[in-house]
Amino acid sequence: MTSTHDDHVGGERSSPPAVELIGITKHFGQIVACDRVNLTLRRGQIHGVLGENGAGKSTLMKVLIGLVLPDAGEVRLHGRTVQITDPVNASAHGIAMVHQHFSLVEALTVWENVALGDVGRLDHRHIRRRVGEISEHYGLHINPDDRIADLPAGMRQRVEIIKCLRRDPEVLVFDEPTSVLSPSESEFLFAALRRVVTEGGKAVALVSHKLPEILSVTDEVTIMRDGRVVQSGSTGGTHASALAKAMVGRSVVLRREHAAFGVIETDGDQPVPEVAAPRRPAATEPALRLIDLSAIGRDGRVLLGGLTLDVYPGEIVGVAGVEDNGQRTLGDVLSSLANIESGQVLVNGVEVATGKAGAMAKAGIAVIPEDRHDSGCVLDFTVAENLFIADPDRVSRRGLINMATMRAKATQLIEQFSINCTGPNAPMWSLSGGNQQRVVMARELSHSPKVLVAAQPTHGLDVGAIEYMSDQLRNAAVAGVGVLLISTELEEILDLSDRIVVIYNGRIIGEMPKSEVDIARLGLLMGGATSDATTTIGGSGD
Amino acid sequence: MPPQRSGVAVTETEAESATATSAQEVRPRSKLASTGEVIGLYAICLFGALAIAAALVEFASDKGSWTTVYTVILDGAVRKPGRWGLTLGVAAPILLVALGTTVSGRAGLVNIGQEGQLVIGAAFTAYVGTRIGGPGPLALVISLAMGVVGGAIWAGIAGALRFWRNVPEVLTTLLMGTVAANLVGWGLRHRSLLLAPPEGRANRNQVSQPFAADRHIPRVTLFGNDFPISILLAILLAIVVWLVLGRTVVGFRLRMLGRNARTAQRAGVDQKRYGIGAMLVSGGFAGLAGGVMLAGGDFGPYQLVADFGAGIGFAGLLAALVARQRALVIIFVAFLFAGLRTGSGFLRATGVSARIADVVQGTLVLAMLLPPAILYLRARRRAIAATSSRT
Amino acid sequence: MSNFFSALGDIFTNESLYRNAIIATVVLLFAASGEVVAEKAGTINISLEAMMLAGAYAAAVGQGRAGVWGGLGMAAIAGLVVAGVQANMSHRLSADQFVVGLVLNVLVLGIVGFLVGSNEPASHIVERTKVPVLAEVPLIGPALFDQPWVLYLVYPLVPAIWFLVYRTRWGLEVRAIGEDPNASDVSGLSVNKLRRQTIYLTGMVAGVGGGYFLYARSGRFEDSLIGGRGYIAIAAVIFGGWTLKGTVAGCVAFGLVGSLVLTIPSLGYQAIDPAFLAMAPNVVTIVAMTMFAKRVRQPAALARPFIRGLK
Repeated sequence: MTSTHDDHVGGERSSPPAVELIGITKHFGQIVACDRVNLTLRRGQIHGVLGENGAGKSTLMKVLIGLVLPDAGEVRLHGRTVQITDPVNASAHGIAMVHQHFSLVEALTVWENVALGDVGRLDHRHIRRRVGEISEHYGLHINPDDRIADLPAGMRQRVEIIKCLRRDPEVLVFDEPTSVLSPSESEFLFAALRRVVTEGGKAVALVSHKLPEILSVTDEVTIMRDGRVVQSGSTGGTHASALAKAMVGRSVVLRREHAAFGVIETDGDQPVPEVAAPRRPAATEPALRLIDLSAIGRDGRVLLGGLTLDVYPGEIVGVAGVEDNGQRTLGDVLSSLANIESGQVLVNGVEVATGKAGAMAKAGIAVIPEDRHDSGCVLDFTVAENLFIADPDRVSRRGLINMATMRAKATQLIEQFSINCTGPNAPMWSLSGGNQQRVVMARELSHSPKVLVAAQPTHGLDVGAIEYMSDQLRNAAVAGVGVLLISTELEEILDLSDRIVVIYNGRIIGEMPKSEVDIARLGLLMGGATSDATTTIGGSGD
Repeated sequence: MPPQRSGVAVTETEAESATATSAQEVRPRSKLASTGEVIGLYAICLFGALAIAAALVEFASDKGSWTTVYTVILDGAVRKPGRWGLTLGVAAPILLVALGTTVSGRAGLVNIGQEGQLVIGAAFTAYVGTRIGGPGPLALVISLAMGVVGGAIWAGIAGALRFWRNVPEVLTTLLMGTVAANLVGWGLRHRSLLLAPPEGRANRNQVSQPFAADRHIPRVTLFGNDFPISILLAILLAIVVWLVLGRTVVGFRLRMLGRNARTAQRAGVDQKRYGIGAMLVSGGFAGLAGGVMLAGGDFGPYQLVADFGAGIGFAGLLAALVARQRALVIIFVAFLFAGLRTGSGFLRATGVSARIADVVQGTLVLAMLLPPAILYLRARRRAIAATSSRT
Repeated sequence: MSNFFSALGDIFTNESLYRNAIIATVVLLFAASGEVVAEKAGTINISLEAMMLAGAYAAAVGQGRAGVWGGLGMAAIAGLVVAGVQANMSHRLSADQFVVGLVLNVLVLGIVGFLVGSNEPASHIVERTKVPVLAEVPLIGPALFDQPWVLYLVYPLVPAIWFLVYRTRWGLEVRAIGEDPNASDVSGLSVNKLRRQTIYLTGMVAGVGGGYFLYARSGRFEDSLIGGRGYIAIAAVIFGGWTLKGTVAGCVAFGLVGSLVLTIPSLGYQAIDPAFLAMAPNVVTIVAMTMFAKRVRQPAALARPFIRGLK
């Protein structure tokens, strides 16, 4: 996309920019989150802030909206230096943030949510009218009296945007806005965003780690790495490979790294080496068979609507899909955490009872859960205890735990999986996220599983940890484990899977082997369009 | 619907990635800061609690001063002849209740109806113990076992409702406390249930038939102090609870359930079985406490009366909370609380209301809640400061 | 059978049944109308009992020095003091709210018992004030409108609480933090501060309720005056499914039961043992929770402490 405000890019302009962050520095302990970072946002422009997880982009944005106070540096709004002390203060200065995960209260209506965080008398007529006006003006189609609980993710994001726009901010910050959206919803979002920028004259900062998004939507881009700005300038003159290189700090060669940043090479200007030959199984019996799984939530919502899927030993099956389409329930069912209305789960041809504590684990299904704090580990236990959660019998005799054996075996696993901790007695909470993940991995793989379910395994991890994780999944598959990879990051799926299926509304609605991947069709499927109905969505396929 | 992650919560997960990369592990310095600081904090809170009670004596009452009050309580609790034996007798049921509370508490359940469970246990013991024949010791054991059953049933109802119908156990145990008191009061009005035969109760209503002498819990006399052997049983059980929770697979799974129910479920801990089991044990201990009170002799002449619980259930609950559910620490707290009770019996002579013992007990518990809360918050703040870094 | 119906007729045409029922209902209403706000914000306030008891004692002491209004003022302050401990310990220091509540109940009972033992406050009863016309309605007229004037305070209180919760910004924020504290925090609400405020409100209203009960009942303070009514008020909130309307209905139902406990024996009927009537509110609440636990939606964050960064 070419910038409509080329004259701004050079920086020569009479009136000062909407926001200038100058020399922002922030330390957390010994870590430098931001090191003398400069960023300039101008009215009428979308400014991309690109970087890997941990590059410092979110900290920078938190400085801007007052969630983090910088150690050094200054913030200028329209040329005047200001102190932003907290979010309320930021809001008073006309800065608003649309959060990555929504800040909406489900039990309340749209207008009530929009009113949250305001001050002064609650005038519901006025708020309702304003919501209607903004919705109409930007074509958002939102009814102020709907309850949030009844709205899908895309609509919720629009409510989030209205919540920001209602206070008529001059600066809008979007933090990874598309992580919960389908491709078509993302397009709708960006179209609306463009209207907000051009018609409203707002300055927008778009934080993302997805290159295509940055390339197609932004006017200017700032790339951060290790807390520093490594490149900044107009988006127009740059291209994906250059951005990726700047972001990682070295030439991106391996496909897996490529994929990690959303560069899907289709034009072939850079060779993509094959990582491994397809490991299509010789085994005739699937390691895991899911037959017609149905589950209904407590509110009557369909969570799984007849999901059928086979995973053979030695293959990685990637389940692609937009967040909240049944992935979580699928993971829960395979973790014995949720029960099903109907259907069957078979491991090596033997049916496993669903919803029965520990049944899945016992049957040989290892799980790396989406949220390890939720169902992967016990933070208040020691590392050793966490390593034997599922099978304390291995370190006990006649019901008595042998502490010495437990410590010894734990020490072995700690070394084998290079878990960085002070020892087997270190409390789990004292470990970093990556190392906690390794503890989970060590435990799950040490039980020689038949099936490995990995739900969003790289979410929130940095490049090094992502690579480690990917290697582990591949190794498991090579060792003959059937791997089910559930992820909302399409790139991760494309990178690792031998076979890709798409989940939508709790059903598998499409499947393709890695060799026949068609990105456009995949995107449509994720948005819910089965191949014969592509026209109803339109837009993204070309 | 899964819980939404807020922007702030996301901060943490994302932030962890940053720490993972850095060669130097970021770890909160130490969960409990330095030992000296901790001891100091506890000392301050302890002092504050006692000072509040002292101030109450000094300024709100025209009788006695705080020094005499503390001296008298100490006399009544341990110093005067025969007193520490009495204190041991009172400590036994408090300790038992607290042990039960620890079991359910470690499983993540909040049982606050011990008083009711205790009374039901005492009623079961009274009913069976006055009706069955056979040799005394056997009858005693059977009736105490029935007390365990009674208390377990009462807590088990709350446990069952919690795990089958998702009714919060906090509320059911609380509400069932009053129900228990009323039920036992009703039973004490009916000859077919608990009421003693007319010849045995003079003109008192609502008393049960006293236990026959051969069914009393044996008492030991030591250095002029005389106490029931139930305190030894209770201490033994404290060690058992400590071992089971800390060293066995069952205890490991129970603690897992309490710390992270979903992880436990995946790891094969059946929530219903373990949860209801923990409630049964918890109520069983309270029921046993009731039986021990009845057959022990330190709480009236071996017979059940209305309001028999006398706040022992609450005292036990509070003891478990103060000891932060550590079985061995509970032994000392139970003795402390028992001492406050027996000691306050001596206050009558000074004219200061014996209720001051309740005040001391209450302020002590409140004060003991403070240090862990403060330390936890501080550790938490440090952890966030250390991890909410580059994202 | 006809005996049974004539007995029912006797009981339900008895004016004192309704008078006692209203007196019992109103004390529950004072406590529960504050409690429903606290619970909507996410706190189960076990110390309601302590707040009422402290209020009753302060009212007994206060009226001797500053009259009934002064007594009520002191009752509100006493309730507020208890609320201050509960609120700051559970929503500043994040100590377990049930533990704090229970301890407060024990502690306040101890303090009040100690104080009464040391110097007992004089008793004072507030005379009935008849509201003209309205009090002439048969059966329930006198019960509602020929009562000590302190009771009439509850009539504006309930609508005021409704307005506060459903029509003001503060009420909206309270409802939001009880449902999703994390999202509310991100929206710029101060979750724990708001929760503390709801507890302060509960404390003041419950304190006044305790004072009212003292004046309406006997005027003479005993430490058994409140006698578990705080717990019944909590039960009424749950029974009412966390709505104000339901809570009022729960209070009326439990008040009526409480009155039956007194009325039935006084009319010479022995059919139901008073013990069963006394436990009825609790049993009914447990049964209602069992039947509706899956259907009635409690505030999603009820009884969960909010610590930023923890889910």
